[in-house]
Amino acid sequence: MAVERFLQPHASSWMTNNAENVDIAMSTRIRLARNLTDFKFPYSFTEDEALKVDKEISSVLLDKGNELDYNFSHISIEELAQLQKEVLVEKHLISPFLVNSQRSGSVLLSENEELSIMVNEEDHLRIQSLQPGFQLQQAFKIANELDSLLEKNLSYAFHEKYGYLTSCPTNAGTGMRASVMLHLPALTMSHQIQRIIPAISRLGMVVRGIYGEGSEALGNVYQISNQLTLGKSEYEILQDLENMTEQIIQQERKAREAIALNSPMILEDRVYRSLGVLTHSRLLTTEEAATRLSDVRLGIDLKMIQDLDMSILNELMIFMQPAFLQQYADKPLQPRERDFARAKLFRERLNKKDRNSEGEDLA
Amino acid sequence: MICDQCGERSASVIVKQQQHGQIIERNLCHVCAAENHSINVAFEQDPLAIHQLLSNWFPNSQASTSPARKEVVTCPSCGFTFSKFLRLGKFGCDSCYDAFSPHLDEIFKRFHNGNIEHKGKIPASYGTTLKIKKEIEELRKQMQVCIQEEDFEKAARLRDEVKALSAKLEGGAADGS
Repeated sequence: MAVERFLQPHASSWMTNNAENVDIAMSTRIRLARNLTDFKFPYSFTEDEALKVDKEISSVLLDKGNELDYNFSHISIEELAQLQKEVLVEKHLISPFLVNSQRSGSVLLSENEELSIMVNEEDHLRIQSLQPGFQLQQAFKIANELDSLLEKNLSYAFHEKYGYLTSCPTNAGTGMRASVMLHLPALTMSHQIQRIIPAISRLGMVVRGIYGEGSEALGNVYQISNQLTLGKSEYEILQDLENMTEQIIQQERKAREAIALNSPMILEDRVYRSLGVLTHSRLLTTEEAATRLSDVRLGIDLKMIQDLDMSILNELMIFMQPAFLQQYADKPLQPRERDFARAKLFRERLNKKDRNSEGEDLA
Repeated sequence: MICDQCGERSASVIVKQQQHGQIIERNLCHVCAAENHSINVAFEQDPLAIHQLLSNWFPNSQASTSPARKEVVTCPSCGFTFSKFLRLGKFGCDSCYDAFSPHLDEIFKRFHNGNIEHKGKIPASYGTTLKIKKEIEELRKQMQVCIQEEDFEKAARLRDEVKALSAKLEGGAADGS
């Protein structure tokens, strides 16, 4: 089955670690929402129409994807087992909305998992392009190229005044949502993030924790994205988001310097204590794992830890989630068994090499 | 009772959590409870969902309290009424945009910081059509001026140009480009 390869715990290319500013900006995502003319939108279409939309879009993608060197795999959502769906959600390749949809839908994935096209999510078509690090322009270029190719073969719902027509009024216009995932431990520790978040929202952008709207982001990871899709061109939206992200990155760097300067011992203790927990514990909850990962990540950025590859941490952030662990163990796991499996996964991945004892890394 | 977490404020919430098979009960104050991640997860419904915002901005009263003005706008294509759109916060099809258009400026203004018009990408095929449409509009205006000035020769020339462009528009639509 086509889906198997995407379920394996191997890193998608957007989880790698070779891009600019990757120490703080972990990954970039562009999403374009599109609908076809002559079909009702997913909130009102029938199963019959859903199937037709799926067939029309999928056949164009499978056929024309080659022109851009994409060999897409087509996966029907209803053919997947519940656990398989959850794994794809945890990998950010499909949305929970698509999983819970009452109508036929599918996802088309490029081999390197940089492109994921959902059919019959909230809109007929959602093109998602993922890149490692802070690469808004590159992620947009990839999504936009595919969009232009598709539009030659599909008839998009478009309006002179309102632009691309979408199910939700918050997406109309460009249909574009651009977002950057940021690791902001120092701004969180120093409580500056609470002041930054409302300031950003006044400029038509939003910041939220990646696991939801909770005030404290799990693992100090935040997502910043554009809120406006009407009244600004794609170019302007990306520029604004880029400027804002750069400023936040600078603020985070300043906050890190300040913490490293003011309380180096406390920081060092925190980093190594967390490394100890991740490499030696027997039970790890998602929350603790996320917090400790954040500390170790910071330790690598600050060159305290030098023999650990950041991309392993990126992978672990994804693979430590419940569905992945169960897929890996090949059986359903109770919460406590998951905590055990999670701890085991961390020990295996982080103790792989003959790492120096922590003390020797100290200057 | 004092909050188990901060030990300062008085507790106002009892939180029961299942941890490793055991039920743990904690008494928290409103501040600590709000910060508690596992509690927040329990609120699956987004407190700021679009449909909730919309129905608060456009309460049903608009339609129900003044029966004289009560007009039920319905999308001819998908059958969504304006009130259904408000309730769901979603459009049923592309025709809804035209059907509800008298109310949309106000809605878009609120969601998009006062903006109501698309400034971004235009599909290539649509771009050509749009350009031709605008050209025709322009030529028609010029034609009116010529007629008023009794320059019928020029008006006839412009009329032919409009005809040619209209044919192009129809031809383009017919072969689907």
